[in-house]
Amino acid sequence: MSQNSKDASHDHDHPGHDSTNSRRDFFKNFGLFGAVAAAGGAAVYTGYKYEETKPGANFVRVLTADNRIIEVPKEGFKDIKVDLNQLQKQGREGLKGHRFVMVIDLAKCRNARKCITACQGAHHLRPHEYHINTLVMQESENTAPYFMPKPCQHCDNPPCVAVCPVDATFKRQDGIVLIDNERCIGCRFCIAACPYSARLFHWEEPLVVEADKGTPYNIELNVPQRKGTISKCLFSSDRLREGKLPYCVSACPNGVYYFGDENQDSVTNGTTKETFRLSELLKVNAGYQLMPELGTKPRVYYLPAKNRLFEFKEDKDPVQSI
Amino acid sequence: MKRYFILLIIVLFSMQLSAQEWVVAPAEAALKSPFAFTDSTRKAGEVIYVANCKSCHGDPGKNNVIQLVPIPPDAASVKMQANTDGALHSKLIQGRGAMPSFKNTLSSTDLWRVISFMRGFNPKYVQEVAVPTIGSASAQNVSIKLNWNKTSGQVEALLTSLKENIAQPVAGAEVKLFAKRFFGNLPIDEARKSDALGKVSFNFPKDLPGDSIGNVQLVVKLTDEVAFGEASAEANLTVGVPTNRPALTDQRSMWGVLEKSPVWLIFAYVLAVLTAWGFIAYVVLQIRAIYRAGSKE
Repeated sequence: MSQNSKDASHDHDHPGHDSTNSRRDFFKNFGLFGAVAAAGGAAVYTGYKYEETKPGANFVRVLTADNRIIEVPKEGFKDIKVDLNQLQKQGREGLKGHRFVMVIDLAKCRNARKCITACQGAHHLRPHEYHINTLVMQESENTAPYFMPKPCQHCDNPPCVAVCPVDATFKRQDGIVLIDNERCIGCRFCIAACPYSARLFHWEEPLVVEADKGTPYNIELNVPQRKGTISKCLFSSDRLREGKLPYCVSACPNGVYYFGDENQDSVTNGTTKETFRLSELLKVNAGYQLMPELGTKPRVYYLPAKNRLFEFKEDKDPVQSI
Repeated sequence: MKRYFILLIIVLFSMQLSAQEWVVAPAEAALKSPFAFTDSTRKAGEVIYVANCKSCHGDPGKNNVIQLVPIPPDAASVKMQANTDGALHSKLIQGRGAMPSFKNTLSSTDLWRVISFMRGFNPKYVQEVAVPTIGSASAQNVSIKLNWNKTSGQVEALLTSLKENIAQPVAGAEVKLFAKRFFGNLPIDEARKSDALGKVSFNFPKDLPGDSIGNVQLVVKLTDEVAFGEASAEANLTVGVPTNRPALTDQRSMWGVLEKSPVWLIFAYVLAVLTAWGFIAYVVLQIRAIYRAGSKE
C-alpha cells in the first residue's frame, strides 16, 4: 500500500505525456486512495495497539485493603452478585445454636454517645433517629441520676411480633427480632405494642439514597432504608454472622457493653475484649432486666449504676456538643 | 478582642488536654523490647498495625489520620516518636478515650512488633534491647500438650522442650488456660506455673457449657514470652456440660409463624372461618330452595 502511494507521488511529479490520460488518472486516483487507505489503516492499527497496551483496557483498577492501586485482568474478574433471596432466607433463619445476649453496665456509661453514632452510621440513620439511645434516668428525687443506653430488648416473648399483621417483624432462632422492610406496610401496630419504645418509624425519605442505589436489601442491616416502614436495633446481625461484636458494642470507649452467647454462658466486653461468665457477671453485680413483670423476657440485661466510674454531668443538648 | 477570645479557647483546650494526661509509670517507660528490631519484626508489626491501628492512625508518615478529638497522632510524627519504647508499650496496654486498650487482644510480643514497625519511620532511632534478652530461659521452643484428668476433674498441661532431640520437662513457666467462646477467650482458673515435671493442673468449672456432646475448645498460652518465647496449644476436650438447647423459635407461641402458632388458635380460627362460610353456604342453599319451590308452582 505504501508502495502504491510512493508510485502515485512519483507519477504526480512527472506530468507530461498528453495521451489518453486514463492510465495516469487511474494511477493518480488509485494512488490517492491508497495513500488515504494506508494512513487510515495505520492509524487504526496503532490505535488498536495502543488500546491493547494502555492501562485500563483489559485491566480493571482495584484499590486493595492496604491502599495500593493494582490492575487486575478483566478475564479473571467475577462480579459478586448478592442474592436478595439468599439474604432474606439467611436473615429469617438466624445463626444456629446461639442465643445472643447483651449486658449493659450502667456504672461505666458517661454518655459518650459513640455507640449511637456508630449505629447510625451503619444503618444509615439521621442524627435524630435512634436504634439505641442514652436516656437520663433518676428513680426518685433523692436518688442519683445516671445514663441508660436502651437498645431493642430482643424479647423472647415479643409483643411486637405477635401484633404484626403481615409477618414483617419476626423472631429468629438465635433470639434476635428483626424487621423485613420489604414486607412492612407501616401500620405501626408494633410501635404501639412495644413497651420499651424501641422502634422508630421512617417519616422521611432515607438519608442515604444515591450510594444505596442498586444495593440489594439486607434484612440483617435494614439497608437501604425505606420511607414509611419501621426500623429498630438489630443486634448488628450482619456483624454477628462474621463473628464480630455489634457496632455499638465495639464503638464504646468506656467498656459499657458486654455481648455474648447465652448458650455458651459467656459475654465479651466490647472495649477491653475480656470475656466473662454471663451467669457470674449477673450474679455478682445484681443484674436486672427492664420491666420483667410484663413477661416479655428481654435478652438485654442491665448492671446497676453503683460505684459509678464517672461523675454525672448532664449536657443540656448532648447532640450539639459532640 | 477576637485575639483574646482565641487565646482563651487555646488555654481552655490545653487545660482539657492536660486534664486527661496519659500517665506512664517511670518503671514502665524504661521498659525495653526483649528482642532486637529487624526487618522481619517490622514486617510482622506492619500486619498487626494495618489490622488494629491504621483505621485511626493512618499510614505512618502520610498524615492521613482520622479526625477525632484528640487527634490520633501519625505514627511517624515527632510527638509519637518522642515516646520511649516502654511508654509506647504502656500506652498500647492502657488505652485512653477512643483509643482502646490492647491488653487482652494483642500479646506483649505483638505490641513490641508494632513498636518495631513504628520505629522504622524514625531514622534517628537507635534501639536499646532489654537485658536479659529473649531466650534467656534455659528452655526454648516449648511445646504444650493438653489433656483432661477425669479422676481429679482437672485440665492438665504438659510443657516440654526438645534438648538434643529428647523431650525435657519445662519447669517454672507460667501458663494461662482459656476456653474459646463465640466472641473471645474465656479465662479458666488462674495463671499457674509448671512444676518440676513440667506439669500444670487447672481447676475446671463443672458447669461450663460445651457443644452438643460437651466438647470445649481449649487454648493454653505461655505468659512469660520474654524468657521462653511464644508458645500456645489448642485442644478440643470433652470437659463441658453437653448443651443442646432448642432454637428459640421451636416452641408454639402467639408470635410464632403459622406452623408454630398455638393449637387452640389454629382450631379457633379454622372453626370461625368454617362457621362464617357455612352460614353463607346455608343461606345460598335456602335461597336456592325458595327459588325451586317458586318455579314448581
